Amino acid sequence: MKDRRWIALCAIGLVVLVMMNLPDAASSRVKGVVRDGVSPLQGVLRGGVRELREIFRYIRGIGDLALENRALSEEIVYLRGEMRMTHDLERENQLLREQLGFVERPMSRHLIPCEVIGRDSTGWWATIRLNKGKTSGVADGRAVITTDGLIGRTVSLSQRTADVLLLSDPACKVSVRLTRSDVFGVAEGTGAKTGEQPVCRIEYLSTSADIREGDEVVTAGMGGLFPKGLLVGHVSRVEPVESGLYQVAWVTSAANLGELEYAFVSATTDDLAVTAAPVQAFDWEEGEAYPVDVLEFSEEELP
Amino acid sequence: MTVLMLLFWLLVGGTLQVLVPAWRHMGQPMFPFLLGVVLYTALNKKPRYFMAAAILAGILEDSLSLAPLGSSACAFLAAGSLAILLRVDFYTDKVRTTMCFGALCAATTTGTMALLLRSKQLILFSGNDIAWRMAGSTMLGAVLIPVWFWGMRSSERLLGTWEDRD
Repeated sequence: MKDRRWIALCAIGLVVLVMMNLPDAASSRVKGVVRDGVSPLQGVLRGGVRELREIFRYIRGIGDLALENRALSEEIVYLRGEMRMTHDLERENQLLREQLGFVERPMSRHLIPCEVIGRDSTGWWATIRLNKGKTSGVADGRAVITTDGLIGRTVSLSQRTADVLLLSDPACKVSVRLTRSDVFGVAEGTGAKTGEQPVCRIEYLSTSADIREGDEVVTAGMGGLFPKGLLVGHVSRVEPVESGLYQVAWVTSAANLGELEYAFVSATTDDLAVTAAPVQAFDWEEGEAYPVDVLEFSEEELP
Repeated sequence: MTVLMLLFWLLVGGTLQVLVPAWRHMGQPMFPFLLGVVLYTALNKKPRYFMAAAILAGILEDSLSLAPLGSSACAFLAAGSLAILLRVDFYTDKVRTTMCFGALCAATTTGTMALLLRSKQLILFSGNDIAWRMAGSTMLGAVLIPVWFWGMRSSERLLGTWEDRD
């Protein structure tokens, strides 16, 4: 009897050791299968919670609906005007580039709309889980944005889900540029709690660099991971380090990382070659949903 | 029936663990739903059920996070074994005892996970941060585990699997 107990203990130990030493590919496959299996349930529950929240929001804001509608209509008119202007500028820019003999720049980028269905189960990483994976064309290391700006990058994929490492995680590093002063740096997560600001900091900035509170921070596009010009956030504090050798800027994220419900994953044409199912998109001009492969935006239309 | 019930609670626990946001204080620990299932089997079921629960819960938790496969199983086995060692000396059905077991095992799980992840340099938490998070986990374990046990026990009574007790 005692022998059997020891054998059982050894067997369990063996199972755990084997699991911990599985090759990366096998480990990812096992994780992917489990994640894909659980994701429909997560999606349904998350959807239910979202619906409930919407109902409460609707009931609370019923009196303000007319005002909100008016404000949104005004915003649509303004944004359509901006879009038209941007298209003109884009055409003009293209023409000038052609005349100057510049290499043609790819002008459009694909965005895959996703829903947030969960967060990291252990709490050791600042991640969210999206309801689209490899079958929808999501690839590893792609920028993930919301309508407010960059929120992170994809780190772990399964067939139907993708994990996003948020800007606030200390492991997330982004090559950035401060637009006003044209200073470059690397923003890394502060490990801020969910919904807390500032989410990242830029270290090793020259003491002579003119950096002020409120300066806009965008992606520099130098690491090759993130596209150029995506809004990251704004400088909320600048202070020199104790030794006085350089200064550190603290960045408040443009997007609220604590209340993410929808996100867009940037994708290249190659990523989309594997897309199996069409993605539902929304036509802002016509005001109705229609099935398309992906949403296509020009660089200027991105947040 | 016990196996089915176990799988059901593991699925519910795993789903709740990714849906319920982390507690915003004391190092942001997660609510230990999966640990609750493991601890319940450790204290109330035969050892083979506990081992199966610990491994399955570990695979589920690691799959739903960036942790390497096997880390959570290790942590759950450590916490559950501690509970099994202590259960002979305590009356585990009492709420106060369950609270103590929950607190102790939640802290053990967090500590073991931190140790494993830090040894592989996968997390950048300082010793103080980890200690603070362990304290947070202790609080959450003490509060959540008795409620979780009550839910599992009620479902057992409903399904008639009470006789499977060790």
